[in-house]
Amino acid sequence: MKKGLCLFFIFAALLIVFPFFFHKPFPRHLLIMIMMYAVMSIGWNIIGGYGGQVTFGNAAFFGVGAYASAVLLTKAGLSPWAGMAAGCVSSVLLAVIVGYPCFRLKGHYFAIATIAVGEIMMGLFMVWDFVGAAVGIYLPILPQSFRNFEFHATKLPYYYIMLAMFFFALGVAFIVERSRLGYYLRAIKDDPDGARSVGINIRRYKLYAFCLSAVLTSMCGTFYAQYVLYIDPPSTFGLMISIDLCIISLIGGLGKLFGPVIGSFVFIPLVELTRVYLGSEGQGIDLMLYSLLMIAVAILRPQGLSGLFARGGR
Amino acid sequence: MRKAVACFCFFSLVFYLGVFHADAAGKEIRIGVIYPLTGPAASTGQVLLEGVKLAADIINNKYNLNMPLAKTEGLPNLGGAKIVIVSGDHQAKPDVGMAEAERLITQEKVVALIGAYHSGVTATASQAAERYGIPFVNGDSTSPTLTERGFQWFFRTTPNDQLFAENFFQFLNDVKKRKRVETDPVALFNENTLFGADTTKYVEKFAKQYGYQVAGLVSYPAKSTQLTSEIQRLKGFNARVVLQTSYVADAILSVKTFRELNFAPDAVLGNDAGHIDPEFVKSLGRDANYILSREVWALDLGAKKPMLKTVAEMFEKRTGKPMDGSSSRAFTAMIVLADAINRAGSTDPAKIRNALLETNLKADQLIMPWDGVRFDPKTHQNVLGKGIIVQVQGEKYYTVWPFDLATKDVVWPFPKWDKR
Amino acid sequence: MEGFVQTVVSGLLIGFLYALIAVGLTMIFGVMDIVNFAHGEYLMLAMYLAYWSFALLGIDPLYSLPAVTLALFVLGTATYYLFIRRIINAPMLSQIFVTFGLLIFLRGLAQFLWKADYRAVPHCLLSGSLRVSGVYIGVPELVAAAGAVVCNGLIFLFLKRTRTGMALEAVAEDKEAARLMGINSDRMFALAWGIGIASVGVAGALLANFYYVFPEVGGNFGLIAFVVVALGGFGSVVGAFIAGVVVGLVEVMSGYLLAPSIKFVVVLGLYLVIVLARPQGLLGKA
Repeated sequence: MKKGLCLFFIFAALLIVFPFFFHKPFPRHLLIMIMMYAVMSIGWNIIGGYGGQVTFGNAAFFGVGAYASAVLLTKAGLSPWAGMAAGCVSSVLLAVIVGYPCFRLKGHYFAIATIAVGEIMMGLFMVWDFVGAAVGIYLPILPQSFRNFEFHATKLPYYYIMLAMFFFALGVAFIVERSRLGYYLRAIKDDPDGARSVGINIRRYKLYAFCLSAVLTSMCGTFYAQYVLYIDPPSTFGLMISIDLCIISLIGGLGKLFGPVIGSFVFIPLVELTRVYLGSEGQGIDLMLYSLLMIAVAILRPQGLSGLFARGGR
Repeated sequence: MRKAVACFCFFSLVFYLGVFHADAAGKEIRIGVIYPLTGPAASTGQVLLEGVKLAADIINNKYNLNMPLAKTEGLPNLGGAKIVIVSGDHQAKPDVGMAEAERLITQEKVVALIGAYHSGVTATASQAAERYGIPFVNGDSTSPTLTERGFQWFFRTTPNDQLFAENFFQFLNDVKKRKRVETDPVALFNENTLFGADTTKYVEKFAKQYGYQVAGLVSYPAKSTQLTSEIQRLKGFNARVVLQTSYVADAILSVKTFRELNFAPDAVLGNDAGHIDPEFVKSLGRDANYILSREVWALDLGAKKPMLKTVAEMFEKRTGKPMDGSSSRAFTAMIVLADAINRAGSTDPAKIRNALLETNLKADQLIMPWDGVRFDPKTHQNVLGKGIIVQVQGEKYYTVWPFDLATKDVVWPFPKWDKR
Repeated sequence: MEGFVQTVVSGLLIGFLYALIAVGLTMIFGVMDIVNFAHGEYLMLAMYLAYWSFALLGIDPLYSLPAVTLALFVLGTATYYLFIRRIINAPMLSQIFVTFGLLIFLRGLAQFLWKADYRAVPHCLLSGSLRVSGVYIGVPELVAAAGAVVCNGLIFLFLKRTRTGMALEAVAEDKEAARLMGINSDRMFALAWGIGIASVGVAGALLANFYYVFPEVGGNFGLIAFVVVALGGFGSVVGAFIAGVVVGLVEVMSGYLLAPSIKFVVVLGLYLVIVLARPQGLLGKA
């Protein structure tokens, strides 16, 4: 335990001083992306890893977060921070609306249902004129400030905001793990019937986990909108985003606190570097590489994948 | 072991210094070029890059062509400095485009950027350029919003979708006059991503302006598994002319379905993209005949513009592929940018920007069917650009409009399927 | 009215094809409780195979169909022995990740080998359309639908009337009991994969007559296949057939009556409604 804590502090310290050693935008951008995906994967891990409920639709929350703050900014001049809060609230609403009926579904049906929800969101946003439909939203370039959540001269503020979100996400996951919610989630995953017979309201706790997942993912959506200053349905609701989150958690370790972090530190650089160095053949190769990695982890450590595995496989 | 490490460090340092040696008035001018070199549009991205590279070659060496900087080696006002292309791959993702732009600006120290084909990526990449105060010349993204952002450093040489939409109606009016036929009403058949959505907006606007009736609109999801119900609806509008915006897969599928449902309006007028993709005629064969499309460029324009023919031949010799609207526009963007840098006489971004604002190239200095290149002082959109209309005849594309650049007469109406 | 009838006909035609694509998926699930998320990618491979047979060897998709089907049968059994066999008893999470990993791998492979360009087989033997009392029926689509119906029928007969087929069903019902009866479940699983993927091979070769192929083509068809299987009930071959037709009709009708841009939204919405109201689908095991 002490060793773990020590390692964690070293890791945190490294992250904090990283920008002072690397001034160029590209390494900073890489780390911002790594941390952003880590936060979203931590969110996914809460429902998918701890809760055992595999979802392929978390990009819906990313998109809602991005669009909520972007629309409120462009139409009502609202600060993106308020927009982030609005995005979180909307995402939680979406999580409840989707989760409440869908958590009744058995594993595979639920997974496909989440894909369906994600694709429905994408389809709707592509034709919804109020949010720009297929054209997307160009966020206005405002004078740089914390309130405007835009910075132009350097990436440093973006980096530290994301770092703060990263620690926040880890904190949330840490608390969940040690709280009653975490305890119940593990019980539900291990032995749903047993859990039910002891009086645990399965649906309620899954919903809590799902809502937490939604909040974390939604925050990243708002961040992304303010970072790139252009959003459209494919870049925010895309299925690949959802899939990437699962891959990251799987590779790093499902249901483990640092699983998504490790996964993100492996996965994102892999994707970025294969793009930069493998030239024109790159696109296919990185897909093949990490899918094989995914399959290998799933096959070779099926028991150990989540530390505990559900009895009866369902 | 220690010696090896020391050697390695020494050489890395040398390499690092050599590569990142910042170049003020040195012998090279570094231009960043961002295109989708991998991913879904990879084949187009690579062709775009080849267009830019050909332009760089013409600039850097002596060629007897009537275009800026061809007859000299390098840029004369900068002591013969040569253009060096540094490429970046954005994989059709806006955030990657942004990252690549930043990398090229801050790490590769480019003095200007060219790119990026996908309008969404051009949006973010040019944003990065705007933030750093680096000129960005866009030769091939047509979403009108790009020049409506009030940017100071963004310049666009290609006409945008608004102008192309107007070309439709200019063409229809000309046909009406020459062939003495009715070209009203029109129906729209567009895919529903950015490209189709933009086009729909502008076509509706110009239809009203030119007094055309829009009988109906079908907006369909790209890459549908079948288009029968959509084309059924389209048939029901009883329009004379169908204006269609599709990428290649849907364009092919739709023509096949037109044939199966025996749908033959007086004209099917495509909007570039899928309808001029090489795969279109290859897959459809004879069924592609008589399809019209708005285009940005055509090989047969060489008949009226000899310089175009020469450059196109050079391109084909270098790459084994025929030149097309993408490579020709990327080529032109590079020429325009280099011309401005030369007139600026410096690699200072602000001076390049001012030189760009003063650009005034004439039609005969370009390989495009444009009236020239001159940027609007406020929006930085080239106001002298225009599109052409081509028609497939005998499974080949021929320019049919503007009539003074046409190599063949337009066949109107679209012959019925059973009468071919 | 004519437009309406035309739409119904198109819906039926594409629906039969959806049914064929889905039947393999439902069979695999029925026999060993594994959802093959990579199902659509095998369709993509079959289409590429048919395309390259034409482009390199000049064989029309109609003639390459048997070879493509056989090739995919082999591919299906190979997939089983290489990957699936190891996770038969693994937790559902692992199974999902393995087949999802296969999805990504096959797509990456296709992009790597054949680039992202769209390809279509020009000038097939099957082309043109028939006109039957005012309704146009495309010849390739008609043949594809007919082929799909025939194939579905063959699979159904195989499962119900042949000994091997009944052995497969027995394994699906109760693996232990089947083993006690002397049925080698391992062999049966491999067979299920073989037949399941082979049926997708038939669909792919038929599709190549009128649809274009690119690395992500498996995506849309795969998603629709999942909807069909879930709607019909995981494990039910008859259910998949009925559901396929339903989905085809719903897609085409909503495109015609509502708006084409949201026809997928309607199909997916239908999935959600059905699956929430009746979790086991139309004919699935409760």
